[in-house]
Amino acid sequence: MKPFTVLTAVAAPLDVAKIDTGMIMPGRFNRKYRRPGHPDYAEGFLHDLRFDSSDKPRTDFVLNRPAYQGAEILVTAADFGCGSSRETAAYAVLDYGLRALIGVSFGDIFVGNCLQNGILVVAQPQAVIDTLWKQLGERPGATITIDLEKQSLVAPNGERHTFDIDPTRKQRLLLGLDDIGVTMQYAAELEAFENRHRREMTWLAPII
Amino acid sequence: MSAPATMFQKIWDRHVVVKAPEGEELMFVDRSLVIEGAAFLGFDILRNSGRRVRKPLQNLAITDHYLPTLNRAAGLAGIANPDIRRVIELHEMNARDFGLEHIDMHHPLQGISHVIAAELGLAQPGLLLTCNDSHTATSGAMGCIAMPVGGGNQLSHVLATQTVWQKRPKAMRIVIDGAIGRGVVSKDVILAVMAKVGIGGGAGHAFEYAGSAIRAMSMEARLTVCNMSVEAGAKIGMIAPDDTTYQYLNGRRYAPQGAEWDKALTFWRTLPSDEDACFDREVHLNVGDLAPMVSWGTSPEDSAPITARVPDPATYATPEQRSRVTRALEYMRLTPGTPLTDIAVDRAFIGSCTNSRMEDLRAAAAVLKGRRVVVPAMISPGSTSIKHQAEAEGLDRIFIDAGFEWRDSSCSMCNGSNGDIVAPGERSASTTNRNFEGRQGPGALTHMMSPPMVAAAAVTGRLTDVRTL
Repeated sequence: MKPFTVLTAVAAPLDVAKIDTGMIMPGRFNRKYRRPGHPDYAEGFLHDLRFDSSDKPRTDFVLNRPAYQGAEILVTAADFGCGSSRETAAYAVLDYGLRALIGVSFGDIFVGNCLQNGILVVAQPQAVIDTLWKQLGERPGATITIDLEKQSLVAPNGERHTFDIDPTRKQRLLLGLDDIGVTMQYAAELEAFENRHRREMTWLAPII
Repeated sequence: MSAPATMFQKIWDRHVVVKAPEGEELMFVDRSLVIEGAAFLGFDILRNSGRRVRKPLQNLAITDHYLPTLNRAAGLAGIANPDIRRVIELHEMNARDFGLEHIDMHHPLQGISHVIAAELGLAQPGLLLTCNDSHTATSGAMGCIAMPVGGGNQLSHVLATQTVWQKRPKAMRIVIDGAIGRGVVSKDVILAVMAKVGIGGGAGHAFEYAGSAIRAMSMEARLTVCNMSVEAGAKIGMIAPDDTTYQYLNGRRYAPQGAEWDKALTFWRTLPSDEDACFDREVHLNVGDLAPMVSWGTSPEDSAPITARVPDPATYATPEQRSRVTRALEYMRLTPGTPLTDIAVDRAFIGSCTNSRMEDLRAAAAVLKGRRVVVPAMISPGSTSIKHQAEAEGLDRIFIDAGFEWRDSSCSMCNGSNGDIVAPGERSASTTNRNFEGRQGPGALTHMMSPPMVAAAAVTGRLTDVRTL
């Protein structure tokens, strides 16, 4: 996982509420194999918003406008990433080239999947999102700076906003730590737990 | 005496391996179900880091989403789509390479993971169970914590360590009282809960469904309720175990037996929330007057009694809500003010982890007996065992005589991942759990409802109040 420290990047405004994971990564892309290390899921990302039914880019869609090319931050509306738990949605975000999402609210499972893939998810009040949308709309291609250590973001107009993040997640994002590696540091605790648990719940048969 | 605790707290605390003062805790996973979905991502992470599955006997691979509902006997060769074939092949290979038991397409226990988890007695009170699918909460109806994990990183973590990092959710109790009337079933109850709580209303919470209406429900009806918890944003939905639970569980394949059963039962009886346990939030509903529900929009909260009309976006409080509902009605091709019973449907589907169990089939068959459908209709039972049981009861004849296609078990037309899709612009009466844009296929228009309501719509060709048939 790539560490996340400070990011200054073009941000794109996406003012559509309740974009569920099935819109972020439609089912027919979801079933394609992703070769390890290849951004194969970029094609699926928001596909039906980005392209029409004959696969031509919708020129009016924000991510298709020249000024937002190379955006690494997306500023989203309420309930972004609600719906199915498909982790391919987080991979699609990553493969498309985004490193951070700033939005009003997000699906719970989706947030977990993003953070585990090195994508920072920042929740902000609707009023802040409204001003970000306005600034990004008026100055297409403007950048936002996100400083994870300081838990702050700087809007194109220089205004600074702070955000909350789970402390364990923050640490792992900053260092780019893989969860399995962290967990194995607790191998002794895990063994002890399992021995006790097995004694207490003797009726649990293995699945065979 | 320890402080009064909720059922959720009792089970959660028992599974904490590493307690964090703040942030996420390391949780032990008693059993993990691994469906094909995007599990290849998780297995590839293990493969590329040279890791193995730590406890293969606590993990079970299941193929359900991509299985064809026709021509199952032809096996892989019968699947035309190469992407679908590949996902099934990859799961087969990964289960074999990593030493997991696999309920594959030809297995006698084959079924939708959330259906067979209860059917086989894998889900038991007091356990922590994970599956890489958002409807994992279904099994919480058995009195356990059943929660979804992502198919990539989180799944690889469960497989490599038999644990998962999770932030402890808050506890929310949804108290549902009242006796439901004739023609009303648990699906109507959960759609009413969705309409009340809203799509994000349960985010960060673990639900406990309680109240007299829940107590009166059968185990299968309770599974339908917990199934849709995620539609209100909650990863976990649970119901306290009681005699209904124990009677259902007793004798199932993985249920304890003899002295172990007695020991387990003593433990299970300690699990229900203590009387004065404190919940972070409570919601109350009375379902005594509830009419059968149908969804009209593109979010699970967009449901209304069948006696209502398509809502007017102007009546919504905020500009965001108004624009969302306007967009939803555009997508659904509906005009505000139209009576819901005037909406004509093009097809009907009964199935999915929400509504594909014996009681669902019996309730739909009771409506269909002696009637004929006027639109294309199909049914995919929740498991191969359910299919056989229904055939033993003669339900298959009722469905076939009424004009339903009697298919094999799979996730099927709920999300169309196996190719069973609703055509663009087609309107479907479905027993499924999601009505998002494109959920049943690109451009598909989904109306969610109960199995008897789908049966009623299929025979009249319109959304219909099953109580009037």
